[in-house]
Amino acid sequence: MTTNRMQQPSKSTDAKVMNPADPNPSGKQVNPALKQKPLDLKSKMEGQTRYLHDMNFPGQLIGAIYRSPYAHARIKRINVEKARQVEGVHAVITGDDVPNHKYGPTKFKDWNILAKDRVLFIGDEIAAVAAETREAAEQALALIEVELEPLEGVFDPEDAMASGAPQIHEDVELNRPMKVDVARGDLEEGKKKATIVKGGRYVSNRIYQGHLEPVGAIAFWSEEEGITIWAPSHIPYRAREAYAAGFGLPEDKVRIIVPPIGGSFGAKYVLKVHVIAAALAMVTGRHVKIILDRHEDMITAHPRVPLTFDIEIGADAEGNFVYKDLTVYADAGARVYWSPNVIATACTRADNIYHFHNVKSTGYLVYTNNSPTTCMRGFGNAEMLFAVESVIDEIALELGMDPAELRLKNIVHSGDTTLHGYRLDTCNLDECIEKVKELSGWNRRKELPPYRGLGLAVANHVSGFRAIDPRFDGSTAVIRIKPGGFVEVETGEIELGQGMTMTYARIASRVLGIPEDEILVKSGDTGRYPFGIGTLASRSTVMGGNAVQKAAESLLREIQQLGVQTLGEGAVFEEGVVKHDGKTYSLGDVVDWFRARHAGEELTVKETYVPDTELPDATYFGHPSPNYPFAAHVAEVEVDPDTGRTKVVGYWAVHDSGTILHETMAKSQVLGAVAQGIGWVTMEDLIVQEGKVMNPSMMDYRMPGAKDMPDVQVHFVQEADPHGPFGAKSLGEVALDPVPGAIANAIAHATGRRGQVLPMSAERVWMSLQS
Amino acid sequence: MNGGLNHNPSMTLTINGEDVTWNGEATASLADVIREGQGLTGTKIGCRTGECGACTVLLDGQPVVSCLVPAASAQGQTIETIEGLARHAEFRELEQAMQEYGGVQCGFCTPGVMMTTWAWLQNPALFGGDIGAALKNNLCRCTGYRGIIEAAEHVLASKGAVR
Repeated sequence: MTTNRMQQPSKSTDAKVMNPADPNPSGKQVNPALKQKPLDLKSKMEGQTRYLHDMNFPGQLIGAIYRSPYAHARIKRINVEKARQVEGVHAVITGDDVPNHKYGPTKFKDWNILAKDRVLFIGDEIAAVAAETREAAEQALALIEVELEPLEGVFDPEDAMASGAPQIHEDVELNRPMKVDVARGDLEEGKKKATIVKGGRYVSNRIYQGHLEPVGAIAFWSEEEGITIWAPSHIPYRAREAYAAGFGLPEDKVRIIVPPIGGSFGAKYVLKVHVIAAALAMVTGRHVKIILDRHEDMITAHPRVPLTFDIEIGADAEGNFVYKDLTVYADAGARVYWSPNVIATACTRADNIYHFHNVKSTGYLVYTNNSPTTCMRGFGNAEMLFAVESVIDEIALELGMDPAELRLKNIVHSGDTTLHGYRLDTCNLDECIEKVKELSGWNRRKELPPYRGLGLAVANHVSGFRAIDPRFDGSTAVIRIKPGGFVEVETGEIELGQGMTMTYARIASRVLGIPEDEILVKSGDTGRYPFGIGTLASRSTVMGGNAVQKAAESLLREIQQLGVQTLGEGAVFEEGVVKHDGKTYSLGDVVDWFRARHAGEELTVKETYVPDTELPDATYFGHPSPNYPFAAHVAEVEVDPDTGRTKVVGYWAVHDSGTILHETMAKSQVLGAVAQGIGWVTMEDLIVQEGKVMNPSMMDYRMPGAKDMPDVQVHFVQEADPHGPFGAKSLGEVALDPVPGAIANAIAHATGRRGQVLPMSAERVWMSLQS
Repeated sequence: MNGGLNHNPSMTLTINGEDVTWNGEATASLADVIREGQGLTGTKIGCRTGECGACTVLLDGQPVVSCLVPAASAQGQTIETIEGLARHAEFRELEQAMQEYGGVQCGFCTPGVMMTTWAWLQNPALFGGDIGAALKNNLCRCTGYRGIIEAAEHVLASKGAVR
């Protein structure tokens, strides 16, 4: 399964070197009294994990939202009097009943709490109800009278940028809140050197994140505490800041408590539902719970940002890339969620995996009257790589060169500084390509039967991204020894099911020499735990993990020192106990010694990890991540020429994510990503016509099931990276990034036709076969 | 008050071996009776339209999506939820395998997946012997199913070894 190029972790640590995969580094028996019960897999399997929907409060009201049926309309009149008369209704609120500050999660402040003059997309929130029962809330919604004057809408980014298009936000001309311009090298010189040029228009579609747990929130308000929101957000501190601004409150007067998250993949960063629940709680003085049903979740979905790429890549006769020229149009929808970061990624990230030498990217982020779009795993990079990897295969075809060879000729390597400034201390992409060729039997590519194809694609990503918050980067961890000797790790990063808490327990365990089952990792409460930038940009293993390692090392020193102070010279802390004069003392003893000296306070350390990164400048040059993971994937497909249906029949994924800290969960990340990629390329499409979602159910928006998954072979090339905890790099997103390209290339190989529009549905593939 | 015109006559259901009474809406779904009536929140609601499988429970040993089953129709049948299943000693083996093969991430689909997998282990022939086919009504967005499939097949193989 694993190639260990460097067994020794390259970071120094006081703990002895152990296999990071060993859950019990000290080898001693887990003390049942100290066995911790974190949010673990067992409680999930036994149905004991309480998600938002499973939580209720005394006096709790049910919230519901009145939404615009039009994509663009002027609000002429709202009458909520009849709705307020419904028995059991505590509040009906409109834009007149809530603060009217401009706010938003990014620097583009275009959110409101409820619409006042105009509605900008189907589903835009006009009024909200809080009632004792769902039935009363629904009855009240039905009695709200809203008179709307439909306005002309615009639904395509290029139409929206044209002069004369309806202006969606008064202060944003041409509906274009952001333009990205990136240029390196000399594009014109590059074009002169090119003997082969390939490209065209590639289109990445709207993907519904497909979280199994529907979107929702519970909110409460009190004068003393301010707003408390229970919401499955994985960037709760940024959400807190945005929401506080929406209510004109200090940041600290909004507290977000994060229950276990039932899937997000980017869907649950920041949501109006959270804000509206808070507004209803403020008016009613009660807990207000809003859970969208699946239909409402889907008609108001904030899907993956659809991107249209006009791309051209040039190569010389030997297959050396000489330029890349790119224009990207991004449909932000009617408000900005996280689309700016997505388009910036699309315009830059792929230039750090190949030496294109001369590049130009122009990106247009454009408002339309579609539901706002946001991030999903892969975050602009997976979309861009779909186009880049497709075009590279076209170049290989024309050159008559093996696509793997062409890539090997142009990829980045360890020690390189990339075109945009990424410093690659470790990069084993070459080895990933060689290994995936070997595992997949790449050399049988030429002998495959008709309509069967093998496709290769590669990817890079970041482990945290410096520009997510220009003000700061890094992570903070607190470790406590509680009375009795319980060890608790606190972090500001968020568990999404990916196994973050298990990884942090493993890191702390490895430093402290105590079994990871005796370590409880806590997070997800802005009122209790350290500040965290959040689980996005594949941050958690490297950013939070480094902070946990640093805190554990600090705790180790504290315990050692305390042992000497208490027991005298010769006391040593090892294997989770203090040893002195032939006797051993447990962590329970250690914390008692500490408390005796510190007025009963428990032993606590707090450490902050600040990465050695460089904020990308105005030209997008910088070193934005502590390290960079890489991957090479091969997909094998079979296309039915009679129906156009594609079946993925084999899949091989080789990853350079540095040291793998938890092999089972790492493999599960890759498998889940492959499934999402198969869905994306072969079946998923949130169809939106004039702003209306046409397939708002899981039946009509089909996602992969168990039978859609082939056997997948996963392999990790493990070289410890000097900047990751015990040598780790990120994995969550780089696992998805190459999948669309690999499958697209396999379909092109199987059919001899290049698909440029996602998804490559049976219909599209069949049509291409007729031409 | 249990007259013929009463909208909400009480009904008795057998959930996890216990007879329980429901006095709420007569048209309530089995999922709502399980969650709201019994507080057994291990049964999750992902869609209410029978498409995601998070609410899967066993009705006389067969996996069903409880959001689509009228509670009234389940009277006289044996209903088992994840809380009941977790009491079986053999459940530990499946649990262990799911953990070892990476069949769990966010956990929201997991109780439903455990119900279906359990039913398959009791009688694989019912699903043509194929765990992938058995899971056709259980969506999982995190794990890519392979871990679940490998876990189920591992448990079945080890059962065979014991026999």
